[in-house]
Amino acid sequence: MLAGVAGGISESFGVGPIYVRAAFVCLSLAGGVGLILYILLALVVPDDPTDHEDEARPPASKPQRIGMATMFVAAMLFLQAIGLWLGPVVWPATLVVFGLAIAIDTSGINYERSLQGVTTGRRSWWLVIGGLAMMVAGLVVVLRSLDRLQSVGVLAIALIVAIGGFVIVAGPWLWSLIEDLRTERRARIRSEEKAEVAAHLHDSVLQTLALIQRTDDPKKMVTLARSQERDLRSWLFDENSSDTDSIQGALTSAATRVEAAHDVPVSVVSVGEAGLPPDKHEALVSAATEAMMNAAKHSGATKISVYAEMTTSSIDVYISDQGDGFNRDNVDDDRRGIRESIEARMQRHGGTAIIESVTGEGTEVHLTMNGAAT
Amino acid sequence: MTTLFLVDDHRLFLSGVSAELADSFDVVGQSDDVDAAVDMIRACTPDVVLVDVHMPGGGGVAVVANIHETHPDVRFLALSVSDAPEDVIAMIRTGARGYVTKSIAPDELKDAINRVAAGEAVFSPSLAGFVLDAFARSVPVEEDPELDRLTPREQEVLRQIARGYQYKQIARRLNISIKTVETHVSSVLRKLQLSNRHELARWASDRRIV
Repeated sequence: MLAGVAGGISESFGVGPIYVRAAFVCLSLAGGVGLILYILLALVVPDDPTDHEDEARPPASKPQRIGMATMFVAAMLFLQAIGLWLGPVVWPATLVVFGLAIAIDTSGINYERSLQGVTTGRRSWWLVIGGLAMMVAGLVVVLRSLDRLQSVGVLAIALIVAIGGFVIVAGPWLWSLIEDLRTERRARIRSEEKAEVAAHLHDSVLQTLALIQRTDDPKKMVTLARSQERDLRSWLFDENSSDTDSIQGALTSAATRVEAAHDVPVSVVSVGEAGLPPDKHEALVSAATEAMMNAAKHSGATKISVYAEMTTSSIDVYISDQGDGFNRDNVDDDRRGIRESIEARMQRHGGTAIIESVTGEGTEVHLTMNGAAT
Repeated sequence: MTTLFLVDDHRLFLSGVSAELADSFDVVGQSDDVDAAVDMIRACTPDVVLVDVHMPGGGGVAVVANIHETHPDVRFLALSVSDAPEDVIAMIRTGARGYVTKSIAPDELKDAINRVAAGEAVFSPSLAGFVLDAFARSVPVEEDPELDRLTPREQEVLRQIARGYQYKQIARRLNISIKTVETHVSSVLRKLQLSNRHELARWASDRRIV
């Protein structure tokens, strides 16, 4: 019932498990030998998960039973002889235990099922009555021995019996209490997690909804919805957009900024992975951001695409829009965005910038940065 | 008119899309449940099924897998809020002919449905990026090199898609016909669905794709 030791032994010897258990109880009274033996066997004997009901050994024959009983008595006598003994109470207790075992065995009460009620929380009348009887018997013995000062052994046994009775009566209740506590704790952890998510989502979603209600411009609404979507996505799926150390992360966060500032969606697609020394990284990302800004401000396009292709030898970034396009010659000299912020910056760090623009069709800025290594 | 079936567990989105597409397509049915959708699609065999990726009960992958077995002629276009590679690749490898995100403009969505109906493939810029990424990793020794590598032209077409260009712009930029662009994209789709290349498998498993 506990570790299945008694059941296993009873199976291999062909004796009812209740007798094996009774023997363990009696051996335990003999200086705890039974208890130690039980624990040792539970540890040593391998687990056999299969159910051997069908192939259980046939019940032992009469001579075999007598032989086993004799061996048991001999073992007890041996223990008494070497002094592992609780006192004169052991022999009477042994008789009582085996008497009980025989009584239960022949009465046909399913005591295993009843006792399992202790751990599963199901109460049975047998348990309650048995437990109460044990408690009363134990207490009576304890009280009687207090004035007579009987041997310590009797006192100990009486206490054990009383505690056992208490466990049997109150066990199911205690067990269900522990189980309830555990369930409650799990539920609390879960609800705390939920509350954290809810707090974040509610705050940002409510903010956005409030902003949308105060906005007349449909374009602005789309931008708000998009930035909220981005925010939610990065929070829900933990995308690496916050990682600005990588080129992809830096481009994504730049795209978010441009999008927020100019109400034009900017989508970023990247292929491969590569790193650059800090100065090149900085130059490339700044030039790309400038190109996105230009596209958002001047092209009139409804969306901007950023495509980055990264290999160990070079990194290419394309910023495309399908807007108005422009003619380089018509751009005022005082507007130095393209020449300074894009072309010169790239060249200073060993890169190139190619700008193609067709009036009425759109613009594409192609940035190349060579040499991932310095 | 092309017959269209919609599957999405968000009723609001379902009714929105259905209203948006009603002029251009014959919307023969819609469902917000995976099992019901499978039965209904088998009954009405539409030309194209627009299917959401994330749904309770197996999601879009379950719908595509079930129908593909019995009705290989029904074509699928996956539509999702998610742009996560594992979702995209799983849908494509199960048999969807294209993948677009829900933020797609209505005209582009109509265009995509028509393409899928015509038996072509539809790649969103991000899907093109994923495919390039997956195939770009160093090429190991393979049994079927033809399936395991993208031709330079296919790569170029995918790059253009990833840069946000439409097919007709790509055709003009690369000096090829639109038909050729379509052929390249369909061929990439086939490779994506059939290739067993280690890299694709590893790439997928890195991103927890089965």
